[in-house]
Amino acid sequence: MIQINNSDKLPLNEITKSVSDLQIGETALISTVGDDCIDIHCHCLRLMELGFTPGQEVTIVAKSPFKDPVAVSIRGTIIALRKSEAECIKIL
Amino acid sequence: MTLKLNQKDCHNTLTEFISEDDTPVIALVGMPNSGKTTLFNTLTGSNFKTSNYPGATVEYSTGKLNEEYGLRANIMDSPGIISLNPSSPDEEIAIDGLFNNPKFGVADVVIVTCDVTQLSRQLFLVNQVISTGYKTIVALTMNDLLDKKQIYVDAEKLETLLKCPVIKINSKKKSGIQELIKTANSVYKETDHSIYKTLIHKPPIPDIEDVARLYDYTEEIEQKVIKHSKREIDLDVINKNTFKSLSRIPDAGSLKLDKYFLHPFWGIIIFVISMGIIFTSIFWIAQPLMDLIDSGFSDLSTLVTEILPQNTWYSDLITNGLINGFGAVMVFVPQIVILFIFLGLLEDTGYLARAAMLIDKPLTKFGLNGRSFIPMLSGFACAIPAIMAARTISNRRERFLTILVIPLMSCSARLPVYAMLLAFLVPPGKPWIGGIGLGALYFFSIISGAVTAGIINKFKKTNEKSTFMLELPPYRLPVFRHIFKNTYYKALIYVKQAGPIIIVFSLVLWALTFFPNQEPVIPPEKTAGLTEEAVTHLKESERLNTSYAATIGKYVFEPVIKPLGWDWRIGVSLISAFAAREIFVSAMAITFDITESEDNEDNFQKSILGSMREARSPDGTRPLFTTASTIALIIYFMFAMQCLSTVAVARKETGSWKIPLIQIGLFTAMAYIFAFITYRGLNLIGIH
Ligand SMILES: Nc1nc2c(ncn2[C@@H]2O[C@H](COP(=O)(O)OP(=O)(O)O)[C@@H](O)[C@H]2O)c(=O)[nH]1
Ligand SMILES: [Mg+2]
Repeated sequence: MIQINNSDKLPLNEITKSVSDLQIGETALISTVGDDCIDIHCHCLRLMELGFTPGQEVTIVAKSPFKDPVAVSIRGTIIALRKSEAECIKIL
Repeated sequence: MTLKLNQKDCHNTLTEFISEDDTPVIALVGMPNSGKTTLFNTLTGSNFKTSNYPGATVEYSTGKLNEEYGLRANIMDSPGIISLNPSSPDEEIAIDGLFNNPKFGVADVVIVTCDVTQLSRQLFLVNQVISTGYKTIVALTMNDLLDKKQIYVDAEKLETLLKCPVIKINSKKKSGIQELIKTANSVYKETDHSIYKTLIHKPPIPDIEDVARLYDYTEEIEQKVIKHSKREIDLDVINKNTFKSLSRIPDAGSLKLDKYFLHPFWGIIIFVISMGIIFTSIFWIAQPLMDLIDSGFSDLSTLVTEILPQNTWYSDLITNGLINGFGAVMVFVPQIVILFIFLGLLEDTGYLARAAMLIDKPLTKFGLNGRSFIPMLSGFACAIPAIMAARTISNRRERFLTILVIPLMSCSARLPVYAMLLAFLVPPGKPWIGGIGLGALYFFSIISGAVTAGIINKFKKTNEKSTFMLELPPYRLPVFRHIFKNTYYKALIYVKQAGPIIIVFSLVLWALTFFPNQEPVIPPEKTAGLTEEAVTHLKESERLNTSYAATIGKYVFEPVIKPLGWDWRIGVSLISAFAAREIFVSAMAITFDITESEDNEDNFQKSILGSMREARSPDGTRPLFTTASTIALIIYFMFAMQCLSTVAVARKETGSWKIPLIQIGLFTAMAYIFAFITYRGLNLIGIH
């Protein structure tokens, strides 16, 4: 995990898009998981263990009425993630 | 809130297994929803018992292998895990239980259930288990679902790649089970038992690269073993053409249903309707059953009274102490049963996880979780089943916080109290004001629960970060037999474990309200012209008014509650109400000498309201029940932890006295302070 302290000052380019930016029905490939996590307590390892590994395809199945959590399809199953968790999963 | 695992606390009393040294122990391990429990049920038939670690949601079922398989063995079902690296205290207990179970020690053979519809994910755990040194057998489940996609897993190929036995099973149709057991037996026989257990070790905690590498490996295996049902078709070609991996698309039916069940509008409608059904069921369907139990126990009490000698302390102990205590335990069973049947239905169909997802966001604001919703909703019927339902919350902190605030929800036992006090407040001819008042009380109980949780969450810092990450399993038809069996065990565990504490509390309360005046003496001029029933009421009232509870009420409570505008009689009623809130009403009737029987509701209501109007404050100058002091009493009941059964269950479910003591201390303090502010505030603005 590379720690970047002023991540909010980074330009918002394609690379920093994450699963939480996807709309319902959209599909994307995972690029990295937890690359710029500032939080040492983050659950990136668990996300990886659940199957969110680089190169995998994810699709947004649904979003709750409050847009958080989102239901993501991965490796043959559907997993609900909070927005903060989905943000750790960067997409191409 | 750390949990110390206390071996003595693990209730072994419910366990059923062969306790001979040479009987092999077969543990079932697998990810959540991979089919462990279904396999377990098939293997053990109905010979199983569930036990759980106090304070944790970790449940182990243990049982004997069914005789039809021709092998003596103990089977252990374990909680679903994602990997062998714990990411929460509960997971740590679950994983430790695999390596050194307090009951079984180290398993001889581990069967890993592996859902083939998500093979690359499930092989991750399979791999980890193999690397621990356990004798591992892989049981492939859900093959029927993969068939629908016209693909299948080549089990032989997988066996050579993993270097451990792989068997396709279908627990519901009992296919492959015999072969699984035969393999387990031969694996067990081949084991060198002198060194086997020393070789087993927990795997080191991987880092992100390790996980990625392990997944590369499982994907490689997946690609090699998944084949198309028609031999001539090359799966790789199909996958290339559709730009998708056929084996990694979730269940089509579930995706279709989720379009409605997780729809931003319809999803909420379905959520509200299903929660409404659950709420009304625990509220209304349970009521007649509870009344039945109630009247059954009071009939029993009457019957026993007639058999036992009159006016002895021990007959009263048996009728009013013991039988009522048992009644107090049993009366919650209908609500527990109904709630757990619904919970089982929601869980089995796959909707529970989705409901939690829909409502998660607003609850996180108060440090709670989407899964806190059903327990809190149930709290409006009764805190006891509600606290038990909090087991579905896997995050320890969120579970404890949910259990903590559940008693603030306006439970049905408060209704009779509110009804009586509101009837006193409402001007005659305007009953709708009472209705609005009652609605407001329900509404405020939600607010107070949320605010309390929010405040505690703010002040109690933690390292355990709240996560959600919940698998939404495919929608499935529920198996009612399993739901009923599970519900039966939940009710049994409640009766066996919370029951004794509730009975002890009831006996203490009985003693306080009965002694020292066993044989109340009433001057004959007072009883003249009264019916026998009225004389009994008078005696009861005399006894209570001279009891230890009354002494405590007079000398301990009265100075404390005087600033709230109350006297010792209300104090005694409050003490009695610790057995159950609704007892406040009958205790009031006794302390205020109501001679009407409760059976005639109209007369009873009139007569108790009349007594309340006549009652004078301790110095005799003002009425005791004023608008201000009665509203203060309502406020007190909104917050006070006025229910010992709840205390007992909270103790049982959290595994320590910490939460129940916080509930007693904090909620009683809140009740007192808010009642005080209300009473004095109303006095200040001229309402007395
Ligand atoms: N179609 C199908 N469903 C299964 C199979 N095995 C289990 N199930 C269902 O999968 C769901 C989850 O199974 P369960 O045993 O509770 O999983 P656990 O979480 O690992 O204990 C249940 O609804 C089962 O009825 C199988 O081989 N085929
Ligand atoms: Mg299970």
